[in-house]
Amino acid sequence: MLYDYVERKRKENSGAQLHVTYLVAGNLVQNGHVCHKVAVVREDKLEAMKSKLSTIASVHVYSIQKALLKDSSPLYNTDYDIVKTNLQHCSKFSAIRCAAAVPRTPPDAPRAPASAQSPQGQRDPNAAGAVNGHGPPAAKPPPQQHKGIMGMFAAKAAAKPQDTHKEAKAEAKEAPGVSAASSKPPTKNNIMNNFFGKAAMNKLKVNSVPEQPKEEKEVAKPSVAVAEPESSPNTVAEKPGKKTESARIQQKDKKSKTKRADRSDDEEERDPENVKKKRKRIKQLQSDSSDEEADVPPSPTPEEERAPSPLPVPALKTELEPASTEGAAGGRKRKRKRVLKSKMFIDEEEGCMGKTG
Amino acid sequence: MFSEQAAPTAQGLLAPPSAEPPTFPRVPVSGYSDCSQPFQLGERSFSRQYAHIYAVRLAGMRPGLERHARSRWGSDIALRKLSELQTGEKCCVVGTLFKAMQLQPSILQEISEEHNLVPQPPLPKYIQPSDELILEDELQRIKLEGAIDVQRLVTGTILAVYGSEQDDGRFLVEDHCFADLPPPMPWNGPSSDRFVLLASGLGLGSVSGEALLSTQLLVDVVTGQLGAEGEQSCAAHITRVILAGNLLSQNTQSRDTINKAKYLTKKTQAASVEAVKMLDEILLQLCTSVPVDVMPGEFDPTNYTLPQQPLHRCMLPLASAYATLRLVTNPYQANLDGVRFLGTSGQNISDIFKYSSMDDYLEILEWTLLAGHISPTAPDTLGCYPFYKSDPFILTECPHVYFCGNAPHFQSKLLQGKEGQQVLLVTVPDFSATQTACLINLRDLTCQPITFSSFGTDSED
Repeated sequence: MLYDYVERKRKENSGAQLHVTYLVAGNLVQNGHVCHKVAVVREDKLEAMKSKLSTIASVHVYSIQKALLKDSSPLYNTDYDIVKTNLQHCSKFSAIRCAAAVPRTPPDAPRAPASAQSPQGQRDPNAAGAVNGHGPPAAKPPPQQHKGIMGMFAAKAAAKPQDTHKEAKAEAKEAPGVSAASSKPPTKNNIMNNFFGKAAMNKLKVNSVPEQPKEEKEVAKPSVAVAEPESSPNTVAEKPGKKTESARIQQKDKKSKTKRADRSDDEEERDPENVKKKRKRIKQLQSDSSDEEADVPPSPTPEEERAPSPLPVPALKTELEPASTEGAAGGRKRKRKRVLKSKMFIDEEEGCMGKTG
Repeated sequence: MFSEQAAPTAQGLLAPPSAEPPTFPRVPVSGYSDCSQPFQLGERSFSRQYAHIYAVRLAGMRPGLERHARSRWGSDIALRKLSELQTGEKCCVVGTLFKAMQLQPSILQEISEEHNLVPQPPLPKYIQPSDELILEDELQRIKLEGAIDVQRLVTGTILAVYGSEQDDGRFLVEDHCFADLPPPMPWNGPSSDRFVLLASGLGLGSVSGEALLSTQLLVDVVTGQLGAEGEQSCAAHITRVILAGNLLSQNTQSRDTINKAKYLTKKTQAASVEAVKMLDEILLQLCTSVPVDVMPGEFDPTNYTLPQQPLHRCMLPLASAYATLRLVTNPYQANLDGVRFLGTSGQNISDIFKYSSMDDYLEILEWTLLAGHISPTAPDTLGCYPFYKSDPFILTECPHVYFCGNAPHFQSKLLQGKEGQQVLLVTVPDFSATQTACLINLRDLTCQPITFSSFGTDSED
C-alpha cells in the first residue's frame, strides 16, 4: 500500500521529496553457512543489499519519511509508541492467526450468578470454534458477522473470559471477514479521517465490553441494563458501517508496519497542512488509550460512551448523551466520570497543561 | 531453507494493495510436553553439604562408565576402587576429577587475614600450566599424570582412567574415557517443515538501544507483520519461540542499593523494573501469535544457583494472561512435536570456558554431551542447589537438539553417535550483540541463523 502511495506521489511530482525505507529479507552466505537476513535499508542502499543476498525472500516498503533518516532510531521510536498504545490489539494486524493464543481464564472466577454459567458455556465453544475456523479467510458476508458481534456486545456480559473470547473473536472476525467486502477506493484523506475518528470509537467499544464484567456488582444495576440495550441499538446501525470501513482500511494495509508507518507518515506529511485537526485526533486516540491503560477502576458503559463525546462527530454526541445521562447511578460512578472528563479536557486543549476538574 | 518458497513472490508487495490480503493460520502445536520436572525445585533447603551431590553423581554415572570402559578396553580389565589399588597393576578406575588451579578464585583466600590479599579481578580464563588433575572416588584421591590433557578437563567430570599406580603414589594414565553419548531416543519428528526459533540474550534495559529495532523486527517477523506474503506464510510455520536466557541486560544488575547510602537510593527504582516492563510488552506481542517458552538466564530476576527456577508470572502481567506463554526452568527439557530439546542459558558452558583450555563454545557443548553431564563444574565454580538424592544434570537420554544460549556467535553441528544417536548442537548467539537468532527445522534437524539489521549513521553493513 505504501508502495502505491509512493508511486502516486512521485508521479504527481508535487515537489515534496519522499524518502523510502525498504525491508529486504533473503538468504545470504556468511561464514560458510546460509544465513537468513532481514534488513531495513534506505532506498539508495536497496540495490546494494539485494545484490548481496543470494535469494531474495521479500522486499517491501517499510516506511516513508519526508526527511532523510540518518539512522533507524526514529523508526523504532515511532513504532514503539504506536505499539504501546495498541498493545492489546497487536495481533489484529498480523497476517498470522494463532488459534492457541487465547487468554487464560483467571483463577479468581468472576462473581457472576450461576445462571451466567450456561450462556458462558455456550459462548466459549462458539468463540473457540470461530477463532479456529477463521484460519483460512472467511467467506461470510460481513454485515451479518458484525451484527452477530454487536448482538453479543449488546447482550449482558457475565464473565470476563467470555468477553475476552468475544474480543478475540471480534478481532479475528473483523479482519478476515471484511476482506470479502468490496472496497471502493475512497481517497486516502477520507480513509485516514474516518479511521482516526472511528478507530477510537472502535477501540472504546471493544474495550468497554471487557470492562463490563469488572463491575460485577453493577451488572445487576438496572441503569446499566437500560443504558446498554439503549445505546447499542443506537450504535449498532452505525457500528457495522464504521467497523466495516475501519476494518476495510485495516485490510488495505497488509501489515501493521506499513499502517503504523503510514499513520506516522501521515502525521509528518500533514503537519504543514492541517496541524490542529490531525493532532487533535491523534491525541484523542492516545488519550483514549491512555484511559484504558491508566487502569481506570471498573467503569460502566455509559462512562465509556461519554468519553468519545468530545469527538468531532456531532451525531454520535447527541445519541450518546441521553444514554449516558440515563446510565448515571450510584455515587461511585459519578466520581469516576468526573475524573475521566477532566482528563479529556487536558488533551483537548492540545497539550496545555491546564489541570482542570 | 526458511523462506525458499517465498522467493517467487518476493516483490509481491511492490504493487497497489490487493483487495483481500491472505491470512495464514499458525501451524498448531501438535505435541508438546514439558520434561523439565527434575529441574523444578519445590521446597528448597540449603542446610546440606555439597559433598552429597558428588557422591550421587558418581554413583549415578558409575555403572554406565564401567560398561563403557569394558567395551573399550576389554571386558576382562580390572575395575578397582582407589583403596584397592596395587602398585604397577594395570587397572581401570572410575572417579570424579578435581583440578587444582592456582588462579581459581577462592573465597577463603580472599577473606583470610594472614594473606592480606586483594581480591582477584575476574579473568577470562583461570587456567595455568601448573594446574594438576586429581582423581577422587568415594574414599581416596590420587594425582593423575600421563596421557591426559590437564588443561582441557574441568573439575566435576566423572571419567574412567586406565593405567597403573606408580611408586611415587601418582597414577600413570594410559587412556581415559567419558560416559559417551547417552542412549538414543526414538525419533517422532514431523513430516512437514516446522520451525522453532531460538533466541537468547535480548538484553533489555541496556543503556544502548541499538538492538531494540532488531528485537522489534524479530517480533514482527515471527508474528507475521513483516515480509511479503511468501515470507509470512513461512513465518506461520514457526511453531514455537524459545528465549534462552538473559532477557535483561547486565546493566540492570547494578547493586547501588548495597553500596550507596540509603538516603540516596530510597526513591530510586531498580533498573530491572523498566526492563521487565519492556519484556512484558515484547512477550505480549509474541504470545498473541506464537507459543513462547521463556528461560531465565544469568541476569534475570530469579535465583542464581542452577537449576534456575522459572520467572514468576506476576512480573509479566500482560503476557501471562495468555496460555501461550510458558515460563520454564533454566536447564530446559521438552518434547516439541516429537523432538526432544535440551538446553541451558549458557552459564554452564561459559563456566567451563573459564576453567578449561577449550575456546569454542560448540566444542564445549559437544564435550559436555560426551561427558554425559550438563554442567560438571557445578557446584565447584558454578552455583548449584545441593542435591542429595540424585543429580538431575546427568544426561540419561540423548536429546535431539542440544543448545546453549548467550554464546559469542552462532554455531551448529549435527553429531552422529555410535548407537544411532543424532544430535543437533546449537550455540545460540547473544541477540543484543549479534542481532542473530536461530531457526531450527524440526523435520530434518537443520539450523539456520536469522539476522536482523537496521542502518545507522555509518554506511550499511
